[in-house]
Amino acid sequence: MFIDIKSAVNPNHSQSHIRYSFPLDRPVKALYLYFEYEPKLLDDNAQGRKLLEQSLERYVLPEQKELALSGIDRYLPLSNLITISVDDPNEYRGACHRHDSIQQLFLSESAASPGLLPGEIITGTWTITLSLHSIVTGSCTYHLKAWAEEEEAI
Amino acid sequence: MRWLACELHTHTVHSDGRQTLQELGNGAARLGFDCLALTDHNTMSGLADKQIVEQSAGIFILPGMEWTTFHGHMVTIGLDDYVDWREAQPANIHDGVAAVHRHGGLAGLAHPFRIGSPACTGCYWEYAVQDWNDFDYIEVWSGTFAPIKTDNSRAFSLWTDKLNEGHRIAATSGRDWHEQADTEEPISVTYLGVKNETTIDTEQAVAALRQGRVSVTIGPLVNLEVISAAQVYGLGSIVPAGEGAVTAQVSIDCTVRSGLWALPHPDYHLILISNKGVIADYPLGSSDGLLELQAELPRDGLIWMRAELRGIVRGIRTMVAFTNPVYFE
Ligand SMILES: [Zn+2]
Ligand SMILES: [Zn+2]
Repeated sequence: MFIDIKSAVNPNHSQSHIRYSFPLDRPVKALYLYFEYEPKLLDDNAQGRKLLEQSLERYVLPEQKELALSGIDRYLPLSNLITISVDDPNEYRGACHRHDSIQQLFLSESAASPGLLPGEIITGTWTITLSLHSIVTGSCTYHLKAWAEEEEAI
Repeated sequence: MRWLACELHTHTVHSDGRQTLQELGNGAARLGFDCLALTDHNTMSGLADKQIVEQSAGIFILPGMEWTTFHGHMVTIGLDDYVDWREAQPANIHDGVAAVHRHGGLAGLAHPFRIGSPACTGCYWEYAVQDWNDFDYIEVWSGTFAPIKTDNSRAFSLWTDKLNEGHRIAATSGRDWHEQADTEEPISVTYLGVKNETTIDTEQAVAALRQGRVSVTIGPLVNLEVISAAQVYGLGSIVPAGEGAVTAQVSIDCTVRSGLWALPHPDYHLILISNKGVIADYPLGSSDGLLELQAELPRDGLIWMRAELRGIVRGIRTMVAFTNPVYFE
């Protein structure tokens, strides 16, 4: 296991990246990632409305605010969004920008999960980036794991 | 000039779309598109299927990626390689644009006034812009039935403001298409004017967008040319200061994508509009087929001019189509 990390973030971490690097010292057949975060949803809709009202101050013209406020519930419940991207020692290997809060991903020479690029799993430093687009719950815990499928013994 | 019907903002299962590239390609071809740009969020991995889908769906696919950052979404099109979106900070977006340009791509503001975080993360454009000429385009019509949406009106006004300030920047539509679901709402098309009549390639489509040979519509294709004694200036061209008397020539082609859209009793008006306001307003009624009209142009103080087709859509009087500008030195 190259990475096996459990941690927690809060709304102050919104709009930041967290990076985890690990050295790969031997060629492997495939790299596997497991990523999970929770909660996904902010169940407290009153709090959600409060956050939305604050954001409308910023995003909506004064003359359109009333209309925007009346339609605010269509954005509820609010959700956390953390996405994952992968860099091999030389290049970007893609991102999985989607809303699933549990993702099991892999990369190999010939195939990869949607969003990621197939290609040789070369030796050197690999980096997994978590992009915290939005954290709306008081706390959000995550679990990130990375491991390899070994080359078959000859 | 051939006008390619393009859909410039799409997503697949490689990001948060619920469609494969094959499903997207088939769906776009059914709607009469010649070309689509694949602009998945922060990845270009979906392009692995580009050639297979182009052949089987009969549609051209432009490479692209939507920078889905914390402070704005930026559509990039036509680039030959990935550019890192994760370095973008509120004050350094021009570095990202420069990198996109180095890779032969174009950069545009995606849905700049869509409500941002936490409703739609990073969707509202909050990047500081030092030089508007650095951006190739603004996506002024986002989604379906685009002309009636408030966010799009703001984007359209932003574009007009920048033209009035003397910047030369193109405007496009993009459905931000995530799934194959039927819609009753009018669909926007961005037409790109390319010179080669027979084949389509990335270079030509990118050149058309970069130079502003662009016309956007939910129905008829509107074209505008400025004609002098010596030359014809198409969309995106610059009429030199020394040029003598000029005439505007407008064509409205209601036969494009025949059968794939309908605007019953539209009561069209064709408007020529510029930095000096409305130059001419022609009531056209509810005609179809190909319409053409001409107008003498006052050159005094003119820096840009575009054509807008307005009409009644689903009971609402709204914009139906607009061209990108012809510029004046
Ligand atoms: Zn977007
Ligand atoms: Zn999008």
